[in-house]
Amino acid sequence: MTTISNLFQRKSRAVMIAFIVLGVLAVYACVDAFSESEVGFNSQVRPIINTKCIACHGGVKKAGGFSLLFREEALAKTKSGKRAIIPGDPENSELIKRLVTHDKDQRMPLEKDPLSGEEIDIFKKWIKQGAKWEDHWAFIKPQNVTVPNFEDSFVKNDIDKFILQKLKEEKLEHAAEADKAILIRRVSLDLTGLPPTEKEALDFVNDTSPHAYEKVVDHLLKSSAFGERWAAMWLDLARFSDTKGYEKDQHRNIWRYRDYVIKSFNEDKPYDKFTIEQLAGDLLPNPTEDQIIATAFHRNTMNNDEGGTNDEEFRTVELIDRINTTFDVWQGVTIGCVQCHSHPYDPIRHKEYYNFMAFLNNTRDNDLNEEAPTYISQKDFDLPKAKELMEKINTLKGDKSGLPATVSEMRKKYLLPNLQAKDFDDSSKIYFNHPTITYKGTGSYVSYKNINLTGVTKLACRFVSDKGGIIEAHLDSPEGSLIASIGMASSFGEFYESSAPIIRPVSGVHSIYYTLKPNNIGSGDARIWEFKLYQGENKNKDDKKQKALDSLRNELSWRINPQGTPVFEELKGDNRRNTFVFLRGNWTNHGEKVEPEVPKALNPLPQGAPKSRLGMAMWLTSKDNPLTARVQVNRLWEQLFGYGIVETVEDFGSQGNKPSHQELLDWMSLKFMNDFNWSNKKLLKLMVMSGTYRQSSSANADLLQKDPRNRLIARGPRVRLTAEQIRDQALSVSGLLSKKMFGPSVMPDQPAGVWQTVYSGMEWRLSAGEDRYRRAVYTYMRRTSPYPNMLTFDAPSREFCMVRRIRTNTPLQALAILNDTVTTQVSAALAKRMFAEGGKDLRSQISKGYQLALFNSPKPETVNKLVRFYNKASEFYKKNPKKAVIMVGNDDKAARLAPLTLVASAIINQDEFLTKE
Amino acid sequence: MKRIFGQEEQSKRALEDITRRHFLYNMATGIGGIALGSLVGCSSADNKNSLISASGNPLTPRSPHFPPKAKNVIYLHMAGAPSQLELFDYKPLLHKLNGQDCPQSFLEGKKFAFIKGVPKLLGPVVSDFKQHGNSGAYISNYLPHLQTIADDVSFIKTMYTDQFNHAPAQLFMHTGSPRLGRPSIGAWVTYGLGSENENLPGFIVLASGGKTPDAGKSVWGSGFLPSVYQGVQCRSEGDPVLYVSDPAGIDRGMKGELINTINDLNKDHHEEVLDPEIQTRISQYEMAYKMQISVPEVMNINQEPQSIHEMYGTEPGKSSFANNCLLARRLVEKGVRYVQLFHWGWDTHGTGPGDALNGGFMDRCREVDKPMTALIQDLKQRGLLDETLIVWGGEFGRTPMRENRNGGSGESLGRDHHADAFTIWMAGGGIKPGVSYGETDEFGYYGVRDRVHVHDLQATILNQLGFDHEKLTYSFQGRDFRLTDVHGKVVKDLV
Repeated sequence: MTTISNLFQRKSRAVMIAFIVLGVLAVYACVDAFSESEVGFNSQVRPIINTKCIACHGGVKKAGGFSLLFREEALAKTKSGKRAIIPGDPENSELIKRLVTHDKDQRMPLEKDPLSGEEIDIFKKWIKQGAKWEDHWAFIKPQNVTVPNFEDSFVKNDIDKFILQKLKEEKLEHAAEADKAILIRRVSLDLTGLPPTEKEALDFVNDTSPHAYEKVVDHLLKSSAFGERWAAMWLDLARFSDTKGYEKDQHRNIWRYRDYVIKSFNEDKPYDKFTIEQLAGDLLPNPTEDQIIATAFHRNTMNNDEGGTNDEEFRTVELIDRINTTFDVWQGVTIGCVQCHSHPYDPIRHKEYYNFMAFLNNTRDNDLNEEAPTYISQKDFDLPKAKELMEKINTLKGDKSGLPATVSEMRKKYLLPNLQAKDFDDSSKIYFNHPTITYKGTGSYVSYKNINLTGVTKLACRFVSDKGGIIEAHLDSPEGSLIASIGMASSFGEFYESSAPIIRPVSGVHSIYYTLKPNNIGSGDARIWEFKLYQGENKNKDDKKQKALDSLRNELSWRINPQGTPVFEELKGDNRRNTFVFLRGNWTNHGEKVEPEVPKALNPLPQGAPKSRLGMAMWLTSKDNPLTARVQVNRLWEQLFGYGIVETVEDFGSQGNKPSHQELLDWMSLKFMNDFNWSNKKLLKLMVMSGTYRQSSSANADLLQKDPRNRLIARGPRVRLTAEQIRDQALSVSGLLSKKMFGPSVMPDQPAGVWQTVYSGMEWRLSAGEDRYRRAVYTYMRRTSPYPNMLTFDAPSREFCMVRRIRTNTPLQALAILNDTVTTQVSAALAKRMFAEGGKDLRSQISKGYQLALFNSPKPETVNKLVRFYNKASEFYKKNPKKAVIMVGNDDKAARLAPLTLVASAIINQDEFLTKE
Repeated sequence: MKRIFGQEEQSKRALEDITRRHFLYNMATGIGGIALGSLVGCSSADNKNSLISASGNPLTPRSPHFPPKAKNVIYLHMAGAPSQLELFDYKPLLHKLNGQDCPQSFLEGKKFAFIKGVPKLLGPVVSDFKQHGNSGAYISNYLPHLQTIADDVSFIKTMYTDQFNHAPAQLFMHTGSPRLGRPSIGAWVTYGLGSENENLPGFIVLASGGKTPDAGKSVWGSGFLPSVYQGVQCRSEGDPVLYVSDPAGIDRGMKGELINTINDLNKDHHEEVLDPEIQTRISQYEMAYKMQISVPEVMNINQEPQSIHEMYGTEPGKSSFANNCLLARRLVEKGVRYVQLFHWGWDTHGTGPGDALNGGFMDRCREVDKPMTALIQDLKQRGLLDETLIVWGGEFGRTPMRENRNGGSGESLGRDHHADAFTIWMAGGGIKPGVSYGETDEFGYYGVRDRVHVHDLQATILNQLGFDHEKLTYSFQGRDFRLTDVHGKVVKDLV
C-alpha cells in the first residue's frame, strides 16, 4: 500500500502540471464549450483522451471492453452491454455518467482525480454534436496554408512571417542579425559540417553587396563537403556500420553505400527518388549500379554470426528492424509496439504491422555470414581479367553473342542463381562459428522445398570439408530417388566450389534432400554455403569441355569477384516466403497469413503502384502521404535550429510533441514536394536565407525566462556541435584536414586497447598518410566498440536507427577534448599556424588564433588573459624543455611554440568553439 | 502509519525528481508547455528559480521509491557461464549415471548450441562436493575459500533465462532484453539514484580475463537513456578512464592553469550570450580536472597494506580479477553506486584443455575464489557488507550432458549451454544470508521448486536498492520502458 499508487500520484500530479500548462487553452476551450461553436476533436477532446483515458482504454488495455482508439470501438457496446458514447445523446452516454458520478468505484478515471467541469463539458458538447472523430493532425495530409501578412524589415522570406506571427502572439521580439563572422561560421558548419576558411570568412565580412550572404549560401550548397555533412546525419538513420554487430561483430563491406549517400546529397537527388532507390532500387526497371547499391540501406541491419544461432530467428529480427526503421525514418511514427499488439495510442492495428512486413519479407538475404546477396561494383571488378575469362567461355561454348556490358548482366549470363536452404534437420543446422549447414553422421539432411526442376541440368555447391565426402541429392525425402552426387575433396578449411554434375532429368516441382556419404578417407562433415542450380545449359557429355567451363566459371565467380556490397534482391517464384501474423510478436507463433498492405490510417497505395517494395516506396513518396515530407522538413529544420518544429523528431504520433509552428511546417512541406520537387538543397536554402535563421543567438534575461529553449526562435540557434563537426572543425582550422572523398573507412588515432574482442582477430591499425586526418564520416564504425571520441559526443553505436541524438554535456567530453591525441596534434598544428601567419608579436599571434578558429578578433581583455597564460606556460617550458619537445617536436622554436600550443588548446576548448553560435 | 506516510512522501519526492525533467521534456506542448518545458534540458544547470532546480544536474543524488537496504551493488559476472554442476548444484545421481545416454525426454523440443544426437550424461567433474557452514550449502572443492564463508552467502539454484547464446544471454542478464538498445541495469540505477561522488562516475565497469564480454559494451550501455548514465569502463592498462591522463607535454599545475583559463574565457562569454549550457560546461571542466586526480587515485592499489594484498591475492599493475575485486571495494567506499565486474573465460565446452571442466575451468575457479571471498570478508570487516549487494553468476548454466562436439571422446570434458537451470549467489545488501533457494531435479536439468527468472533477479536487485521495478520507467518511442519489461517478481524469501 505504501507505494502502489505512487506512480499514479506522480502521474496525476504531472498531469496537473500539464493542465496548468494548458490552462490558457483550457480557458479557451471552456468559452468554446458554452458557445454554439463546434468542439474540435483534435484540439479539445483528444488531449483529454490521451492524457486521462487512453492508458486504460486504448490499444493494449480495453478496460471494461471500452476503447477510445477508433471511433467504431468507442461507439460500440462495452462489456456491460451499455454504450459509452451515444452520438447526440450525452445524457444517456455511459461515459458522461461515469465522469460525473460520486460513486468512487464507478467514477472515471478510476482512483485518480476527477476531470474538471470544463473537461466534462467538452465531452458532453462533443457527444451532443455527434461525437465526430478526427484523425490525429499528423495523419491528415498538409493543407494549403495562407502565409501570414507581415511587413517588417526582419522578413527575408515567408518563413519569417510565420515566426513573427507567433512571436507577436507571445509578445516577444525577434533578435538582430548575427555578426557576419558568426553567421558565416554558422551557415558553413550547418551546410557543409566545416567552418569557412579564413579567406572565405574575410571575403564575406568585407562584402557589402546585398547578395553577399546568398553568394556564400550558394557556394556552400555546391561544395562537395555538403554531401559529407548530410551523409553523417543520414547514416544514423541508416544505422550504417562497418561491422555486423552482435558477439562476433565482424567486418561488413558496405562503404559503397556511404559513397552513394554522399553523392546523392551532393547531386541533390530529389528526396522521393532517394527514398525509392534505397527501399526498392533493385526493383526499378534496368536499375543502375547506384540504385542497387542504394538498397544496402536495409542491409545495414545487424547480422548474428555467433555459433549456434538460428539464422531464421535473426533474419526475422532484421526484418522487424527494417519495418521499424522504415517508419522511423520516413513516417516519424514509432511502430515497434505494434509487433506485439495494436498501437496503444495511434491508429495502427496489430495485423497491419504484418501486412507491412509482407512488403519486406521476400528479400533473399537470410542472416548468413557471407552476406549474400551482394553486389559487385564494376569498379571492384577486374574487368580485363574477367573479359579474358568470359571470352574463353564464349569460345568454348561457341557463343558469338559477345560480352555483356554491365557487371550485373555478366553475372546473369555466367553465374547461375543460388538456392537458399529452407529446412534442415537439427543435426545439420549449426556449426561452431558458422551458421551454415553441417552434415554429420548418417541420417542428416538439408532440404530445399518447392523447387521447379523442369529444365534443370546440373547442380553445384560451395563447401568446406575437412575430410571430403559425397553429397547426394534425393527427391522429396532423405531416402528418395537419387538424382545427383557431388564429390567433395578435402578443402583444408577453405571454401571450395564443387563441380557441377549433371542431374537425372526431373520435371515439375519437388523438394531436394541432400545427404552426406563418407568417402574412403572416413566420415567427415561439410559446411555448405549455397547450392546452385544450373538451368538449360548444354546437355552434352563432353566432360573435358564441361570441366574447363566449370573451372573458368569458378575463376569468374571466385577469384575475380571481389567482396561485394550487401544489397537487396527479391526472391522469385517458388522461393517466395509467406508472411504471417506473429501472435504476441513471437516469430515462432504464426497466426493468419497476410498480404502486403499499407496501414489504413495513412494514404492508400497510389493508383497503379505494385504490391511490392517498389509500390511501398511509391506510397511513401506519394504527395498524398501525410508524413514523409513533414518528417524530412522537420528533420532538416532540427539540424539547423537545434530542435524540430515537432520536437519529438522521432514521433509525430499522438504521444509525440505537438508542432510549435504547424502551419509553417505544412507550408514548407507542400513547398518541398511541389515547388521544390523534393530538393533538399532548395529547402535548406529557404531555411538558411530566412531572417529567422540569421538572428543573433545571444539571449537576454527576459527571453531566457520566457523561452529558455528557444522554441519560438526569437533568437538564432545556439547548440553544441555534433561529434562529426567537432572533429572536422578541429582538423580544418589547424590545417590538418584531408579533403579526400569516398572509399573504405579509415582508422584515425584511437587510444590503445579500446578494441578488445572475443573471437575476431580484428585490429585497429592507424591509417597512414592523409587517411589519418579524414573527415569523421569516414571513420571506421564498429558497433560493439565505436570510435570513443565520437561516442563521448553522443554519436550512437548504430545498432538501430537513431532519429534524434540527445545532446549531453559531460566531464568525459571535457577530458576527450583536453587530452585526446587528436586534439593535442590539432593544438600544436594551430599554434604553428598562429606563429607562422600571425606576425612576430604574441598579441597578434593570439589574435590570429581567434581569426583562424572563430573568424573574429578577440577583445583586448581576452588577449590579456591569454598573454598571462602564455607567460606562465612559457615559464613552465623553460623549466621543462623536454616537455616542450614532447609537445611540439624537435623544433628550434619549441620554447615559443609549446606555450602557444597551450594557448591554442585554450581556444579550441572554449564553449564558443564547440558550439554553433 | 507515520513511517509509511514518511516513506510515501519520500518516494513521491524521489519520483518527482527522477521523472519531472523527462516528463516536462515530453509534455512540452502548446504555449504554456514551452515556457515550462524549456526550463529543463538535459544538461542545463542553474535554474535556481525554476521548479526543477534540484534535478538540473542529471547526476544529482536522488532517493529511490522506498528506503533501500543496499546502497551499492558489486556485480561479478562470470562471462561464458560457469557450470553450476561442478560448483554448487550437487547431483549424486548424475555421478552414478555418468557415461550413459541422456534420457530422451531431455532432448525433445530442445535446442542446443552444439550438442547433436543423443549425448551422454556427465557426472560432476570434481573430487569433493560437501556441505559447508551452518547453512549446509553445497560448495565443491573447486572453491575452497568460498567454502569458509558459506554462511555469508545465499544461493539461488533455480535461475533460468530465455537465451542460450552468450551475447543475447548477457544482454538479457544486464538489460532485460536479448537485443541491443536497452539500458543496462547499472544505467537504470544511476538514472534512478544519481551519483554520490561528484569526482567519479556513478557506474563503473572493470573487465578481466583478457577480453570484454561477448555482447560488447552494450551490456553496460545506457540504451535510450541519456548517455551520462552509461557505465564508464576503467581499464587496467593504459588510462584507467579514456582520456583521463594528461598529455605528456604538460603537468598537473599547468593543466590546472589551462582549465582555469578556459573557464575564465567561458565565463566572459556567458556574460555576453547568457546560455546556461556554458555554465554546465564550466562545471564539467572542473569535474574533469577533479576526475583526473580522483580516478587514478582510486585505481591505484599500491598504497593498500600488504595484508590486504595477501587477502585478495592482488598484484599491483597486473590485470586480474583479484585487482578488480579490490578496486570494486575502493570504488564503493568512494560512493560509486554500481560496480560491474566481468571475468572472461568460463565457456567450458571441453573442445580442448583450455575450455575443459578438468582444465581451464579449474584455473578460472582459482582466479576468482580467493578474491571474491576476500571481497566479502573485507567489506564485512569495514561494515560495508550490509549496504553493499554482491551478485555472482554467469549468463546461463551448463547441461548435465557432456558436449559431444568432437564425438564425445578424448580427455577434455565439457558441457553445453543450458538456459533452464543455473546457480547464482548473492551476499550482503540486505539479502538473508545462508539460504539455498530453489531446487532442481535429480539431474540439475530443470528447476522443480521456486524457479527464478532473470527478470525476477533484476526485480530483486532493484528492490534492495529501494526501487519498485515496475515504477522505474523511462518513456521512449511512445512507450514506458523498464528493466524488467512486463515481467519480474521480487524473490521475497531472500530479502
